[in-house]
Amino acid sequence: MTVMSPASANLKHLYYQMLRIRRAEEAIARRYAEQQMRCPTHLCIGEEAIAVGVCAHLTVQDKAFSNHRGHGHYLAKGGDLPRLLAELYGFAEGCCGGRGGSMHLTDLDAGFIASTPIVGGTVPLAAGYAWAEQMKKSDAAQGYASVAGGRMPEATNVVVIFFGDGCFEEGVMHETLNFAVLKQLPLLFICENNQYSVMTPLAERQPKRDIHKIATAHGLTAVSGDGNRVDEVFQLAQTAVTNARNGLGPQFLELHTHRWPEHCGPNEDDDLGYRSPGELAEWKLRCPLLQTRQMLLGLQLSNDAELAQMESQLAEEIEQAFASALEGTHPTIDSMRQHLYA
Amino acid sequence: MRDVSMMTYGEAIREALDDALAKFPEMLLIGEGVPDPKTIFGTTQGLQEKYGPQRVLDMPLAENGMTGICIGAALAGMRPVLVHQRIDFALLSVDQLVNNAAKWHYMFDGQQQVPLVIRVIIGRGWGQGPQHSQSLQAMFAQVPGLKVVMPTTAGDAYHFMLAAIADNNPVLFIEHRWLHHIQGEVDKQQGLSTLSGAALLRQGTDITVAAFSHMSIEALKAATVLASYGIDAEVLDMRCVSTLDIESVAASLAKTGGKLVIADCAPEMASMGHQLLSKLVLTHGHRLQQVPRLIAYPNHPVPTSHFAANHYYPGAEQIASAVLAMLDKPELIESVNRDLQSDLPKDQPDRSFVGPF
Repeated sequence: MTVMSPASANLKHLYYQMLRIRRAEEAIARRYAEQQMRCPTHLCIGEEAIAVGVCAHLTVQDKAFSNHRGHGHYLAKGGDLPRLLAELYGFAEGCCGGRGGSMHLTDLDAGFIASTPIVGGTVPLAAGYAWAEQMKKSDAAQGYASVAGGRMPEATNVVVIFFGDGCFEEGVMHETLNFAVLKQLPLLFICENNQYSVMTPLAERQPKRDIHKIATAHGLTAVSGDGNRVDEVFQLAQTAVTNARNGLGPQFLELHTHRWPEHCGPNEDDDLGYRSPGELAEWKLRCPLLQTRQMLLGLQLSNDAELAQMESQLAEEIEQAFASALEGTHPTIDSMRQHLYA
Repeated sequence: MRDVSMMTYGEAIREALDDALAKFPEMLLIGEGVPDPKTIFGTTQGLQEKYGPQRVLDMPLAENGMTGICIGAALAGMRPVLVHQRIDFALLSVDQLVNNAAKWHYMFDGQQQVPLVIRVIIGRGWGQGPQHSQSLQAMFAQVPGLKVVMPTTAGDAYHFMLAAIADNNPVLFIEHRWLHHIQGEVDKQQGLSTLSGAALLRQGTDITVAAFSHMSIEALKAATVLASYGIDAEVLDMRCVSTLDIESVAASLAKTGGKLVIADCAPEMASMGHQLLSKLVLTHGHRLQQVPRLIAYPNHPVPTSHFAANHYYPGAEQIASAVLAMLDKPELIESVNRDLQSDLPKDQPDRSFVGPF
């Protein structure tokens, strides 16, 4: 695919957002060995372009749902970094008060509703949320809804659900696709096809076929693209978000990418031999950051000094975020009993 | 002014749904068959016509997905009521109910809430068989974060439904199909139910019968006949199953000399009786003056054949026999059971009720 470059400032912004996620994930990986972040942690190193390229088109009013590998989605949607880190440490100041850990994130102020780790678990929730948004808009359009104060809303808020290739083995995925098309929901399905479920390759789990064509068969507008090219993700997501916002129904993107670290944890695990020899190395050459950096320099949209300045700025932010998170307090025993019921 | 009307349990549910749809603009009523010509045994009749197809609607055959979709809508401020005509189908949605709905408020530290009602119907008879008539109340009552209620009277059906819809938590609302035709008083002026506490259906001094759902009706039948033999049974309806009102049982036992019969419409191993007894023993064990009795179904699925199923379901006769055994009056068992005997087939709740159902 020939990709038109987003405006220079925009590509730089996308690069910065990806770099922020990469450096935050690397910092988590480094500190994970200190045995203080005691929860299952699934890093998204290598897959940053998808979260960033999609979320670039979302407003705070748009909502996002995610999965166990959700740090990138949370950060790209505007989730608070110190509260993410505090959550990993199990502090009361974490985004879930320490009740969720890495696999349960939320930042309602940013429109990041939730990530959870049961594969497919949040997919119907995103559809339900989009359904409610659609009903509120329709009510408002008819002028009798209390929800929107009876005025005509500007445009429909959209909801985005991030999930992996493994979801296509779950019934709830197909149930949700069916309903989303039936109701023409303002919903974006973003399939991050990284080809592995834990250590099991796609070929052992699904027949050879294009995942997005299953979505097409369900009646969605579905396309696939290179999930490691942020400019390409940006372009595809722009069309998809615009379509969903304008009432053209649910949109589906299958984006090909690859997970660098082990399924769960801070390390690489290529020595275990479940990937083909050279597979990871090849994907690393297609690193979303590397490719964008080359583009920025090649098109003279940026320079080494500016990129170095980004690095130091992020290093400082992340250092401060950890310092702030580490000032957290332990959740009290009494607080553990709270919020079973609303 | 009291506004009391007589209506059936099924009518009370329809009335509550109607009143809630009028009261809560964000309420949705959704389920397989909700607007179809049979309208969930009449309980959703006329509601789509009145409130429109956006709020009262049918759904794809996707119990788990639709449960998740209703949770998502609830997170966005709606109040969905999702209906399953048989509880057996709700098993397909256990992932969404247990992993998401029940935990959401807790695991996100109270920042989000899931105002969701799941209406499920349990029952028996007319060959409903192994996969159309299970009683899974005890299983669902073991999930923290899920409220489980089993109202028995028309009044409770109305007020529990309204309260469940107003509640900002997921509520599993279990209806026994054989209650649907039973009439009762509904006082609409009564305040909002707190979805807690047992209901004292009959006062008595000789023995306590703590019963669940349709078994409370059977217990009342037994108590009526026993009264003509000078035996005064107290009947408690354990209508809130996830928050069992053990205090009321203990208070009743203090009055009845520590004699307890429990009756649940579920197989013995899946009966709420075990949870009730365990909690009772742990908190008020000294109140039990005799080994209690538990009336429940056998520990196997119900066979479809009505010849076989007739022997599957215990009822008023078994409750009365247990009461008489505990009161050391075995000589009355034959006579009491003769009084309780009915020529009605055991797969039919009353003569007006004809299959299929």
